[in-house]
Amino acid sequence: MASRLEEVGRSGLNATLAWSEAALLAEAARADAMATPGPLHGVPLAVKDNIVTTEQPTTCGSRILEGYRSPYNATVIERLRAAGAMVACKSNLDEFAMGSSTEHSAYGRVQHPLDPERVPGGSSGGSAALVAAGVVPAGLGSETGGSVRQPASFCGIVGVKPTYGRVSRYGLVAFGSSLDCVSVFGRTVADAASVLTVMAGLDSRDATTVDRPALGPVTAPASLQGMTIGLPSEYFPADLDPGVKAGCDTAIARMRDLGARVVKVSLPHSGLAVPTYYVIAPAEAAANLARYDGARYGPRFEQDRASRADRGGDLRALYRTTRGKGFGPEVRRRILVGTYVLSAGYYDAYYGRAQAARARIGSDFTRAFGSGIDLLFTPTTPTPAFKAGEKTGDPVAMYLADIFVCPASLAGLPAMSIPVGRTEGLPVGGQLIAAPFEEAKMLATAALLERQLEPEAEVR
Amino acid sequence: MSVTAKDVEHVARLAELAVEPGELPELTAQMDRIVGFVAQLGADRADEADEAVVERYVPGPEATPLREDVVRPADLAFPPAAIAPEFVEGFFVVPKLGPMEES
Repeated sequence: MASRLEEVGRSGLNATLAWSEAALLAEAARADAMATPGPLHGVPLAVKDNIVTTEQPTTCGSRILEGYRSPYNATVIERLRAAGAMVACKSNLDEFAMGSSTEHSAYGRVQHPLDPERVPGGSSGGSAALVAAGVVPAGLGSETGGSVRQPASFCGIVGVKPTYGRVSRYGLVAFGSSLDCVSVFGRTVADAASVLTVMAGLDSRDATTVDRPALGPVTAPASLQGMTIGLPSEYFPADLDPGVKAGCDTAIARMRDLGARVVKVSLPHSGLAVPTYYVIAPAEAAANLARYDGARYGPRFEQDRASRADRGGDLRALYRTTRGKGFGPEVRRRILVGTYVLSAGYYDAYYGRAQAARARIGSDFTRAFGSGIDLLFTPTTPTPAFKAGEKTGDPVAMYLADIFVCPASLAGLPAMSIPVGRTEGLPVGGQLIAAPFEEAKMLATAALLERQLEPEAEVR
Repeated sequence: MSVTAKDVEHVARLAELAVEPGELPELTAQMDRIVGFVAQLGADRADEADEAVVERYVPGPEATPLREDVVRPADLAFPPAAIAPEFVEGFFVVPKLGPMEES
């Protein structure tokens, strides 16, 4: 493991933030010392660096948490370790998970494992790149608006977001609390499912977790007979990348071959998901990120002596300087937008309308699943992985990379991306979306579909 | 809808975020682009003006269960003093609060 991490460190992928041989040996010793080997005995995992661990620093890809070490472990880390899994490394991410390309990390951008000029997607780009490069079989990411499914699609791996409430968020650094979900990458559906199964379940330390029967082992059914797959027309626009469309068409044909009934459906409000998300997520982020002020943890950025006299050198100056220097440009933009949409006179116009739109987006899904649809199938992203720098100049263009993944996040639904083929050498992902807590159905279908697809073959 | 430099300075003050004067023009342009983009949600409401007020939508459990109000040990690997920028005799040390300013 150490030699693989060393090798990937030299490759320029820039996917890892913290790992050490000593920590790896301690993890291995811990797994070996278990009386009965757990279901993930000895499985090394990449952990997105916004999930807290006591052994490594947790930076969230930000200067404002440089050198910070959490005094406690996330619930998911405790559960995975109890099952024998090992934390292999902390992985790079967009600062505070805000981004769609992993270009917004204070520790440099992550490269796409197949093409160094391209992005791996984001914000969980480090874990995605490490799984895709074969360094680890699975990894943890987090989703607020698609930050696991989108990079899974770009990197040609499996990415699963559970239902909101299925997995504890205790120890996941908060960004948008009504949206945040610990999520998982795997090279195969079975790998991702086995990690998710261990992580899931009620946690007294996260009041949003829901008491549901545990997820059992995922077994692929013999066919998709009796299954109805809905294709929402809004997710197949005329300007969809032809390679992405061809990949999705292949997967749809395979589902038909397997006996599924495939029907067209409409989710008319899904088109509002990105603007809705970019009101709700920044509003929640502005509140959640208020805690980073240089008073209790993290570095304290002082003003220069010259300007200290002008600005008073007081407590508020400490807050402003620490936050002004500690946060990167995308995080600053979102804090400002969040503060703007919540400020007096604008709250109803933006936040109120976004909440109403969120309800409409959610009820579209409820209606579709209530009409006999078992699962929805869509492209995960409108294009394959784009080039680094292509969208950094225009925040809205970057946001639109999440157009097909945002709606399920706002509705709190389980959703996943599986590789369906390649176009011009780049992976294409297809997305399955299920009704709340129907992960088992979604994963079983994906496990069968996965066997019928050739993820490394060119689609046409 | 257009965001002005004055608006950006105002929300930056509310958010306790230092913005250097040199950053202001680009930040204003980007904020204007983002706020202009999300403003399309207003159009959505106009289309459906007759619809009954939609209930706020938050996924997750039906109701947040009440928990017993008991003190539980925090079980920390190391104390706050180990991560605080400045910590003396059980207190986080910060500069004094300066004179209040207009906002």
